[in-house]
Amino acid sequence: MARIRECNTAGQRKGMASTACFIIVSRNDIPIYEAEVGSALKKEEAAHQHQFILHAALDIVQDLAWTTSAMFLKTVDKFNDLVVSVYVTAVKKIYGHIHCCFIVFILLFSLTNHIIHTRLMLLHDSRNEDGIKSFFQEVHELYIKILLNPLYLPGSRITSSHFDTKVRALARKYL
Amino acid sequence: MGSSCRIGWNDFEDTFRLPSQSQLRGAYRIVLGYQSFSTVLKAKKRRLGRAQKTIGDYCLLAGSPVDANAHYSTAIELARLTGDYFWYAGALEGSVCALLMDRMGQKDPVLEEEVKYRYNTVILHYRKSCMQDNAQRVSTLTFELEATLKLARFLCRQDLAKEVVELLMTAADGANSLIDASDRLILYVEIARLFGTLGYQRKAAFFSRQVAQLYLQQDDCLAAISAMQVLAMTTRAYHVESRATSSKSKSNEIRLNHIDSGKKELQSVVFLFESQWSTLQMVVLKEILLSSIRAGDPLAAWSAAARLLRSYYPLITPAGQSGLASALANSAERLPSGTRCADPALPFIRLHSFPLHPSQMDIVKRNPGREEWWVGAAPSGPFIYTPFSKGEPNDSSKQEVIWIIGEPVQVLVELANPCGFDLMVNSIYLSVHSGNFDAFPISVSLPPNSAKVITLSGIPISVGPVTIPGCIIHCFGVITEHLFRDVDNLLLGAAQGLVLSDPFRCCGSPTLRNVSVPNISVVPPLPLLVSHVVGGDGAAILYEGEIRDVWIRLANAGSVPVEQAHISLSGKNQDSVISVAYETMKSALPIKPGEEVTLPVTIKAWQLGLVDPDNAAGKHTYGSRVSRDGSSPMLVVHYAGPLALPGKASTNGSAVPPGRRLVVPLQICVLQGLSSVKARLLSMEIPAHVGETLPKPVYVENGSTEELASPGSTTDSLVKIDPYRGSWGLRLLELELSNPTDVVFEISVSVQVESPRKENNLTFIDHDVAEFGYPKTRIDRDYSSRVLIPLEHFKLPVLDGSFFSKDFQVDEAFNTRSSSFSEKNTKAELNASIKNLISKIKVRWQSGRNSSGELNIKEAIQAALQTSVMDILLPDPLTFGFMLVRNGSVAAAQIGSPKESTLQPNLPGSKGSILAHDMTPMEILVRNNTREMIRMSLSITCRDVAGENCIEGDKATVLWAGVLSGISVEVPPLEEIKHWFSLYFLVPGEYTLLAAAVIDDPNEILKARAKTNSPDEPVFCRGPPFDLLVVGTT
Repeated sequence: MARIRECNTAGQRKGMASTACFIIVSRNDIPIYEAEVGSALKKEEAAHQHQFILHAALDIVQDLAWTTSAMFLKTVDKFNDLVVSVYVTAVKKIYGHIHCCFIVFILLFSLTNHIIHTRLMLLHDSRNEDGIKSFFQEVHELYIKILLNPLYLPGSRITSSHFDTKVRALARKYL
Repeated sequence: MGSSCRIGWNDFEDTFRLPSQSQLRGAYRIVLGYQSFSTVLKAKKRRLGRAQKTIGDYCLLAGSPVDANAHYSTAIELARLTGDYFWYAGALEGSVCALLMDRMGQKDPVLEEEVKYRYNTVILHYRKSCMQDNAQRVSTLTFELEATLKLARFLCRQDLAKEVVELLMTAADGANSLIDASDRLILYVEIARLFGTLGYQRKAAFFSRQVAQLYLQQDDCLAAISAMQVLAMTTRAYHVESRATSSKSKSNEIRLNHIDSGKKELQSVVFLFESQWSTLQMVVLKEILLSSIRAGDPLAAWSAAARLLRSYYPLITPAGQSGLASALANSAERLPSGTRCADPALPFIRLHSFPLHPSQMDIVKRNPGREEWWVGAAPSGPFIYTPFSKGEPNDSSKQEVIWIIGEPVQVLVELANPCGFDLMVNSIYLSVHSGNFDAFPISVSLPPNSAKVITLSGIPISVGPVTIPGCIIHCFGVITEHLFRDVDNLLLGAAQGLVLSDPFRCCGSPTLRNVSVPNISVVPPLPLLVSHVVGGDGAAILYEGEIRDVWIRLANAGSVPVEQAHISLSGKNQDSVISVAYETMKSALPIKPGEEVTLPVTIKAWQLGLVDPDNAAGKHTYGSRVSRDGSSPMLVVHYAGPLALPGKASTNGSAVPPGRRLVVPLQICVLQGLSSVKARLLSMEIPAHVGETLPKPVYVENGSTEELASPGSTTDSLVKIDPYRGSWGLRLLELELSNPTDVVFEISVSVQVESPRKENNLTFIDHDVAEFGYPKTRIDRDYSSRVLIPLEHFKLPVLDGSFFSKDFQVDEAFNTRSSSFSEKNTKAELNASIKNLISKIKVRWQSGRNSSGELNIKEAIQAALQTSVMDILLPDPLTFGFMLVRNGSVAAAQIGSPKESTLQPNLPGSKGSILAHDMTPMEILVRNNTREMIRMSLSITCRDVAGENCIEGDKATVLWAGVLSGISVEVPPLEEIKHWFSLYFLVPGEYTLLAAAVIDDPNEILKARAKTNSPDEPVFCRGPPFDLLVVGTT
């Protein structure tokens, strides 16, 4: 029942044009996945602007991530009426094998890179924090599944179309 | 309004800014608007407060912060009472200024807290006043923003980043409320500056870009220049820096070196490509291009377009790529020719290969301590690979290359044009920073989506190391340097899937191993021998077995004389080189520059292997000219100049100038020549005549004289059979040869014969060799022919055990009989004797005017002789001869002698004139060819033409005197006995005399020779038939 209600609310929200740009930034500050998940009309100019905002927000996230143990950092940055929310994952690096810890509380330090997080960043104009948080959590789960793929080189671009479909479905559901 | 927001001034100046005329006027008008008393009183107080604030400003201007502070305090109090928030905030701001001026240079946390607190109040009150004075025509927003920025600037430190960011974000939010675009511009400039100070480069870049966009909205050249400059500052954050401004390339280099030396850790590779915000990068570059075009800076435009095209061509449509190309061309038109730009455009260039010296001019390290100085030198030629290299693998990967002053060198590079337009590279040449190399430019045109390997050449001009980091390219009107390292990085990234695309693979070029530039050093001039085969450098086409002289001309094309030279052979079929004139080379040294030496080399074409598939094919299509590169032998000439250069005699002795190696392949194309179909042994038996005079024997008893030396005997090469001797036991070797070629062959056979041995104490001393020539046989094309080779002169004079050697001993030891003797004869012994025999027979051929050679028929003859070699080589144990005895003189017909020669000159023939009805005294000669005494019972038979015995029986036509059968004689070893008898012929006609003997107590040798089957079988010796012609009347 709850599921149906959620769907309804999502459907209602669809009526108003929302902007949402989702991006996954690897620990090397490279975007490894980008998606415009908003329902607003997509203009190329706007899409560029979204990426610029997200790119700029990395500076703030970089500092902020070390001041809190929370994974979900809401409204870390904003420009005009667009808000950046970030979900910071903790990734442990073991030589010879890249292993991902799902649990929030283990913050492990890597010797080589001082930034060890992969960041899921969402640029949005809605204030639906809970929805965003759920969205992040589910996408994180998907991302871990990608990481577990032995053929995936951590830090390289995510090209899986399955992942893309899933993310867009989640965006429709929660945002 | 515009002047109220001058950001960029220093704090001091800002603090002393007075409200402008219009602001003051507006404020007074508000004051005058109030009517009631309280309002009048309030207005009076308000005016006083404002006056106090103004006085405070003047005090501050006059340089008295203490006085200013006093006035400001009054003003604050008054403004607070009257609710004049705007002036309250202003006075408070002034008091902060006064406080800071008072404590100039001090920085303590308390003061900072105070300033922060007061400024927050200031900002709050400016905002309040904004709401309060909504009707006000003057917006207080600018004041609020300005105060925010001032506070942010005051706090701008890393540890307070969070607060500063919040302030700046608030300020940025306020920008939307600003109506004037230039105000917003100035605000963004300040925000960007503060973010930059804070170390937030990406944030700073973001706001800088906003500034640039605002500039670009103005239709103004100066604004465009500003936009361009502001954007140029963002390039670093977006990783699209022009190489001219970047110092990052150095760090990149260090990083790459690290990767090269260490393990290629995946993560660090990923780290190399952290600038993957391609969308942003493209947008920024596009904006830089746009602004620089508008600003009229062609070089900046060219650089931006080049970076855009080079880095992001896979994301740009072909139309966009062409647009960029034309932008490059247009920009270049405005540039002076010969302009250089730090940012390379297209094409992509990678090192394809570094050709080592061709084998003609290979350089060999010289070992001065040894005479054979090339031995042990590091192999530098191709195909020399050892999996067990001495050095560390890292070192061996970095090869050493030596270049020589004045000798052109080549480097292969691969160019790729992954874009959809034709790329014309006006000139490309190697970029050499060491300055001791003259590079030759060439021009290339690359069709869309194509890659090309080109050869770049140049000449080293002075001694020293040469480094080649890349190529200099003149393309799209601008000169750029393309570094190999950049493309290597790119390809590395492409291999990891981190870069958009591999420009070479998308052009269809195969993946190449990463080629590293070797360590190149230039050495002083060396001699250079150039070889040249006289009569053309093409392959000599030879038939199998053909012998030909080849002249190789070696010329010194260098500028240094050749002082040492050594020739050796290498490669396959080395034994086909019969002779090399080493002496000619030695005597020609030193070869001065420009001099030539001609070396004759004799080569003999080898046999085409039967297993050779090419040859198998060639059998069907004869004349197919198959020349396998690998099968030709090579002459290797090691040569070197003087040990020390005349001019540089004082140089350290350790550095001996290297020598060189010249490899001259003796290009031989072997064609299938005559092929021998089969060889077989024939025998020819013609009985001899018995006469009173006999042909002179080949050798008289004991072989002491030699008749063959007479010149007449050697010139006439026909096989002649003397009628008085017959040809009993003459064997002929028949070779069937076919000529599958398209030329005519002439065959000549020559047989080498060791002259009859002089038996001195049974040791053979003199081995004179005589050659017998036979007439030539001509074989036309596509025909087969048979060549007969008489196998004479081969018989040994003595039959003894040496031929049978050990087996004989073995046989005796085991008491086996002679029947198994021949079977047990070892193959090796037999083969050795056959080989010896074969080596004496030479079948030479000649075709046309100048090709001649020798036929390889060993196998064929061997097969033919395998079974009957004993018959050819070994003499019969006994030889018989008949002769007429007349007038007391003895004329012997010695026939069937093992060493008889049919090559007799025309002797004065004397017909045996035997008359019927006349007693004819005759004698039989029996020669023992063994080394043992033979006892036998000899018998002589006479047969008539019909083959009937004419001595005994019903129709005997011969009367006889003397014993003709069962004659017991003993013949001492190697001697002969005579037995006299007489014949009386009754009927004239032709008769045949036959001698036969049964040997008593034969030894093993005789049994073996006779090939007896059972041990009890008597050994029976039979002489050849002799013809007798009896004349007369019946």
